Amino acid sequence: MRVAIIGTGFMGGVHAEAWSHTPARLIAFVGKPGAQGEALAGKYGARFVTDLDAVLADVDVVDICTPTDMHAEFTLRAAAAGRHVICEKPLALTVAECQKMIRACRAAGVRLLVAQVLRFFPEYKLARMLVARGEIGPPAVLRLSRATFRPRKADNWFVDANRSGGMILDLMVHDFDYARWVAGDVVRVFAKAARTSAAPDGIDHALAILTHRSGALSHVEGSWAFPPPVFRTHLEIAGASGLIEFDGPATTAVEVHLRDEEGAAGSEVPLPTSPLLESPFAAQLRAFHDALVQGSEPPVSAEDGLAAVQIARAAIESAQRGVPVEIAPLHQPQ
Amino acid sequence: MIRIGVMSFAHPHAEGYVENVRAIPEAELVGAADDDRTRGEHHAARLGLRLWPTYEDLFAQQLDGVIVCSENARHRPHVEIAARAGAHILCEKPLATALTDARAMIEACAHAEVHLMTAFPMRFNAPLLEAKRALDDGRLGGLSCCVTTNQGQNPSRHRHWFVDKELAGGGAVMDHTVHLVDVLRWCLRSEVVEVYAQTTDLLPGGNAEVETGGLILLTFADGVFATIDCSWSRPASFPTWGGLTMEFVGGRGVLFVDAFRQNLMIYPERSPGVTMRNWGSDANQAMIAEFVTAIRERRNPAVTGLDGYRALEVVVAAYESARAGQPVRLGHQSVRDAL
Repeated sequence: MRVAIIGTGFMGGVHAEAWSHTPARLIAFVGKPGAQGEALAGKYGARFVTDLDAVLADVDVVDICTPTDMHAEFTLRAAAAGRHVICEKPLALTVAECQKMIRACRAAGVRLLVAQVLRFFPEYKLARMLVARGEIGPPAVLRLSRATFRPRKADNWFVDANRSGGMILDLMVHDFDYARWVAGDVVRVFAKAARTSAAPDGIDHALAILTHRSGALSHVEGSWAFPPPVFRTHLEIAGASGLIEFDGPATTAVEVHLRDEEGAAGSEVPLPTSPLLESPFAAQLRAFHDALVQGSEPPVSAEDGLAAVQIARAAIESAQRGVPVEIAPLHQPQ
Repeated sequence: MIRIGVMSFAHPHAEGYVENVRAIPEAELVGAADDDRTRGEHHAARLGLRLWPTYEDLFAQQLDGVIVCSENARHRPHVEIAARAGAHILCEKPLATALTDARAMIEACAHAEVHLMTAFPMRFNAPLLEAKRALDDGRLGGLSCCVTTNQGQNPSRHRHWFVDKELAGGGAVMDHTVHLVDVLRWCLRSEVVEVYAQTTDLLPGGNAEVETGGLILLTFADGVFATIDCSWSRPASFPTWGGLTMEFVGGRGVLFVDAFRQNLMIYPERSPGVTMRNWGSDANQAMIAEFVTAIRERRNPAVTGLDGYRALEVVVAAYESARAGQPVRLGHQSVRDAL
């Protein structure tokens, strides 16, 4: 299987590293002219091009790691060329864009795999498996929190809501997808959002209460309001006959305290990590590789990605209008 | 000596309060009475406490103050009896199950010129006091929002009336919400203007009448918003009764406080398994001390009946919101006039 990664920024690099642990061959990086693309290409022995069309004929799948506002365009171009698509989360900026992407891939007979990587984090995956096995009974109240610092890249598209959808879509979409994976479809969302810092780029902390069709409730917290290098995640699922709890800071397996370390150390874009023999990103791309090679169903579908965007959009609308937003079942895109 | 009595052992906190009163040198624990004779005799014997046959007999002992630990819905008649007897009152939370009752209690105490203190021990919790100092010093900058939890085991394992709609007034929302509403009002120095709530009965131990879980989103007059998780979501095997946490998000950073993290972990060789033993300062002791000191100093206690009323207002609005699926606006009536 031959792969081209579109986007040579932070996530392009993460995916390239993850692909290197799979049998797939990384053929090319597609990106803006510059040293970053050349460096990635050099590191992984791939070509670097600035136009997707230059490599479409040579690959089986394109892996879209661009800013979110470009997901739809690249997906449509890859589908038109008959290439499978792997797309970073969130699937797109809007529900309509997601539907268009799903329709296009279906029409072209190619797969659309959405990288909701949280489903490959072992702690989240294990908790969901225990719930699915009935170990704590039907889920009743979920608490999901993802709290970190505001991304601080040079080209900081994350903080531009027109490009990323803002914190609620970019960050909270992980937990919206997870809540739905664990407790089923969401029918109502009420959310409030805050701009805690003087930075002029919008919401950096939000709280949402999701009501699932099953009657379960989810409390979802997302934050870019912490100082670097904090990245705290918390997961709690209370069920009819038991409770599962994961508190990120409490599971820190290795602690290093260097006297001369700067307090603000860490990467420019927050990424939660724990020492594992296979990273969640590698596990995800291995699953996608297997799904494409064997034609099997991946653990997360494009429709799941769409549903997560729908919840995020409802949360954004709720926070803007100050009212709960009901979520209507989407008709399957034709 | 400040002479203190206990009305009813319905609420399990009564047992702790008895020890708290005994630990205060200037207080004298005169005894108790209970409208459930069997319950009264059981607890009085266990605690080595004199039990009077009726509340009238108890109040004949020249009490300075009384601690009301009856079922939520019985707080009003008991507070009214105590007020008529001229005793200052510490009333277990929630102050009542209906706003009309809470208002009548405040009025009765104002008329009798006795204190009505609501039992909100979290105002005396040392980690929360330190957190409030940090907020008051402006260390976080302007606050935007708060994330709070007061989750616990289903209390019906201790007393069945906690899941009796008539006596308790509701389930998890009635039981747990008021603590955090009070601490939030205290920390933010602002009143709640909007309440959104969703409840669930998927957690065990409830019945058709009362919910076992709930998530609430409050908006305060100053624009700060806060969520409360009041769920009875801690299973029987949980190493402690539950807990209370708060996260404050401000312009300069975030403060997290766990009111009950100061624990030892105990791992026995045999079942029932891991337990936690808290070694933090005893907030209940400080609360009872404040009740006694306020009586001695002839001043209002630090927490009042109005605080209990405000917290109950939010609970009542939460039930209304959960029914309607819409946020409910609070228009503050001037209960303060009644004081």
